Amino acid sequence: MFEVTRYEGRRRVRGTAVLTALLAVYALLIVFLYPSIAESGADFEEYVENLPPAFREGFVGSASFTTVEGFLSVEMYQFLWLLLLGLFVAYSAGALVAADVESGRLDMLLATPISRSRVLVEKYLSLLVPVLGVNLVTPFVVYAGLLAIGETIDPVSLFALHLLSVPYLLTCGGVGLLLSVRLNRADIAQRGGIGAVFGLFLLDTVSTDTDFEWLGAVSPTRYYSPVDILGEGTYDVAGALLLLAGAIACVGVSIVLFERRDF
Amino acid sequence: MAAIEVSGLSKRYGDVRANDDLTFTVREGEIFGYLGPNGAGKTTTIRSLLGFQSPTEGTATVLGHDVRDEDELIEAKAEIGYLPGDPGLDEQVTGREYLDYQASLKGDERRGELLELFDPPLDRKIREYSRGNKQMVGIVQAFMHDPELVIMDEPTSGLDPLKQEAFNEFLRGERAKGKTVFFSSHVLGEVRRVCDRVGIIREGKLVTLEEIDALLRRGGKRVRVHTRPDADLAGLDGEGIVDREAFDDGVQFTFTGDYNALVSLLAEYDIVDLEIEEPPLEDVFMHFYGAD
Repeated sequence: MFEVTRYEGRRRVRGTAVLTALLAVYALLIVFLYPSIAESGADFEEYVENLPPAFREGFVGSASFTTVEGFLSVEMYQFLWLLLLGLFVAYSAGALVAADVESGRLDMLLATPISRSRVLVEKYLSLLVPVLGVNLVTPFVVYAGLLAIGETIDPVSLFALHLLSVPYLLTCGGVGLLLSVRLNRADIAQRGGIGAVFGLFLLDTVSTDTDFEWLGAVSPTRYYSPVDILGEGTYDVAGALLLLAGAIACVGVSIVLFERRDF
Repeated sequence: MAAIEVSGLSKRYGDVRANDDLTFTVREGEIFGYLGPNGAGKTTTIRSLLGFQSPTEGTATVLGHDVRDEDELIEAKAEIGYLPGDPGLDEQVTGREYLDYQASLKGDERRGELLELFDPPLDRKIREYSRGNKQMVGIVQAFMHDPELVIMDEPTSGLDPLKQEAFNEFLRGERAKGKTVFFSSHVLGEVRRVCDRVGIIREGKLVTLEEIDALLRRGGKRVRVHTRPDADLAGLDGEGIVDREAFDDGVQFTFTGDYNALVSLLAEYDIVDLEIEEPPLEDVFMHFYGAD
């Protein structure tokens, strides 16, 4: 069992290491930037006040820039975890099947005595390498950085922020996987994955506080909020479970499509 | 039990009938050549046999298992090797890592023995491989779990002549051990050295199914004779000579008769140059199955 996951996961190790290192550098940059921002706190708050409402909703939410929690959740997590990592995982997932179809690698895999559903699930699980990799390393980097500048935050919230991002990222991966089993060209599936996740993010952002707020309910971004977790200490556990269910549903539909398809 | 039993197999892509009501049997322990011009539907049949696509109508069994039933087919696949003409290998890993991966999925009890015959540079990344080296990795992975049946889709491209001969010799050895080999090709000369029987497919339909010897006898040889410019070549004709075409200093024809008679006939001329070769498969079709 899990031979495909092990193999494909190993091939993601190097990319994950680079990604993790870059995120760590960015995290430290943000952390060390905080003291000077906090000093000019009032001006910054004013700047944020003047941002367009949709932009404020998408990236800032209820966070305050003058607390380290608020600053971190906006400058780092809302942007990097909610948006960039979501896009990255959807993009990676877009290649899972389509790239193998394109290169003929899928034939070599389907010729072996393992079922299509197992091939698909195991491939999908290889996304856990980057998803878990960045989430295992980054909180320690952030926490150590904060200690270094003499600040501290609630470690439980920080831990929860990373833990709850896992179902969110798995859902983004599920969206990419769906596209990957439908489309034969990897680049289109990958760009489609980015487009879909970004589109859903926009839908959520734009519809918030309008009469069409229900529209954004289809977006995974609605169920994971770094600002709420870090800034207010509220964890949307039901949302996380919903995301997990969404991820499972995406994989389930992908399996059905994958099993019925001709290659 | 037949190794492969194809019954009424059809595959349509929209309006195109890639395979049209194919029925044939591949016996256990034979090397079966599946011949046809490019685009005839050979790969479609192979992809159906391996369950990559499902038949529109009809079905097939491999090693007694129905290809339409995934669970059954998985059982069969433990005993099937697959070698495509251009194997989809992973460019980012070394040959050894790739074989390790394939081994983890299906076993590799014969890997060492095969690597003595086919020796790609295992510790280099596959993206640095020549076509021949890639094909050797393909061959090793196709046979390393010691399958009962090996299905190959135009497998010989990229191998140099020596490796090609080693591969043919290897296939004969496999046959001697009772293994079955099914392989497709569009070049008659490629399959004639190893195949026992051939099926010829054209425009999705099976045109003929016969012993390779019979087919070769009927297909004949293409002969091209160059003589001195002033030679009278009118006598160079007769039984077994078809499609005769004379030119300035020679004559070209397809010969399907007794080779001794041909040699005696040629002995009467002062020959400058002589070529005797396999006719292209397309010509075999033209002669025996009509042009349409």
